[in-house]
Amino acid sequence: MAPLLEVRSVVKRFGGVAAVGGVSLALEPGRIYGLIGPNGSGKTTLFNCITGVDRADEGQILFKGRRTDGLKPHQIFHLGVGRTFQVIRVFPELTALENLLVVTTGAYGEAQGRARELLALVKLERLAGEFAGNLSYGQQKLVEFIRVLMTDPELILLDEPAAGVNRTLLNELLEAVRRLRDQGKTVLLVEHDMKVVMGLCETVFVLDHGEKLAEGAPGVIQADERVIEAYFGR
Amino acid sequence: MKRGFPVALAVLAVGLALYPLQATGYGVRVMLQLFMWVALAQSWNLISGLTGYVSFGHVVFFGTGAYASSLLIVKLGWAWPLACLGGGVVAAGLAFLIGWPCLRLKGPYFAIATLGLNEVMRVVVSYYEGLTGGGNGLSLPTLDASVEIYYAMGLVAAAVTAVTYVIVTSRFGLRLMTIREDEVAAEAMGIDTHRYKLYAFLLSAAAPGIVGGLSARDQGYIEPLSVFPLIMTITMIVMALFGGKGTIWGPVLGGFVLFAFQEAVWAHFIYLHQLLFGAIIVAVVLLMPRGILGVLQQKYNLPRTI
Repeated sequence: MAPLLEVRSVVKRFGGVAAVGGVSLALEPGRIYGLIGPNGSGKTTLFNCITGVDRADEGQILFKGRRTDGLKPHQIFHLGVGRTFQVIRVFPELTALENLLVVTTGAYGEAQGRARELLALVKLERLAGEFAGNLSYGQQKLVEFIRVLMTDPELILLDEPAAGVNRTLLNELLEAVRRLRDQGKTVLLVEHDMKVVMGLCETVFVLDHGEKLAEGAPGVIQADERVIEAYFGR
Repeated sequence: MKRGFPVALAVLAVGLALYPLQATGYGVRVMLQLFMWVALAQSWNLISGLTGYVSFGHVVFFGTGAYASSLLIVKLGWAWPLACLGGGVVAAGLAFLIGWPCLRLKGPYFAIATLGLNEVMRVVVSYYEGLTGGGNGLSLPTLDASVEIYYAMGLVAAAVTAVTYVIVTSRFGLRLMTIREDEVAAEAMGIDTHRYKLYAFLLSAAAPGIVGGLSARDQGYIEPLSVFPLIMTITMIVMALFGGKGTIWGPVLGGFVLFAFQEAVWAHFIYLHQLLFGAIIVAVVLLMPRGILGVLQQKYNLPRTI
């Protein structure tokens, strides 16, 4: 099957430092992928390149066979790539409901129905009218997660979805991600919680110093000498 | 409350419409200035209150509108209502030319660019003496139309407030607010922020352009210093901040309270007035950065329509 997303030798430099130094990877539709690596290994920068927040200095990015490097973030979003951020980026002085509505483009009534459904899914329906900035950290994280789902993107990038979310909510969140996969969506997530990565992802990419160190099934990755070395040192 | 508010608004509108029938010429002039300030504060609110892009040279649209419509009247002999609308169109055109490049600037850089624009326009108008009369100013044909201008000014103030109402209660308005809240996230969530900022900037420039024309017609004489003063930008900002920026009724409330205050104090203490005005700015920024309505909204969780 043709890959949904293809990253070809992407390089992104900040000053003299190559945050991403020639990474290639391909995502097949309908699967859950993990992206792991020590702090500063380039995971978030790679996310930013894929979503157009940062512009890649070299290499190509193809979504559904179409070049997307060089497009603006809002254009890439409308092609069907949604994301969350590592640091929460809800709109604090918009209500939880408004945070969801604002990203939609179709009929307003329909959007409201979908927003209420998604709020109910993460048990936030009673806080729909509350300013997002007044919600707890975990609740804001959930709002950001369902905001991505409002427009039904084909590729969903999640930057540390588990951080700061309690166990019960986390399990529901992970269940929601699996359901998305079952609907044919593709998910790529950055995560430090190895339990989450190993339990959820079908393929894991390991980044270290901006380069792809390894790629494979979670079990294989966990046993890989180089990965262990990158994480724990010699 | 829900039904009382529209009723109160309707009563107020009828009262204001009947006011010139029994008022003195002075009273009408004072009220038309109040309308002017409400329209200006509300226009500033459209770009700066909603998107967070602080326009620090907003009076440039007032001055440009004043000159454009005066020239249309003097040189081309247009009827003043049409000329004032023309002033609005020219101001919006200027906003497009300036907004296209400058709205890519973030934070304080945009504010400085707009501040600079105002200075540039003042100099340009002073320089082209042949057309504008330069520093000597421009006189309009004599005409007593203050009652008509009162109604026109009131209409503009009401129209800008109505436009603000429609925007704030729509998805378009929410998108403008996401730019203020977190522009990077707004972009990543599919919002073409540059285009939205430009729309807001055009909308926010049109009314000051019309109001500038009306004010010029009312005064009968304009000069560069009288229609491009920095203090006017500051006044509209303070009015919007005082009432509550980003809200629908905040700039109306702020315009009304501060204008009434200014009129009352101005008459008695000419020098103290500036000092008090400065003190209000400091007090609002320090104690109540959200303004009166912003504080009430936050405290009682009021809907955006208030």
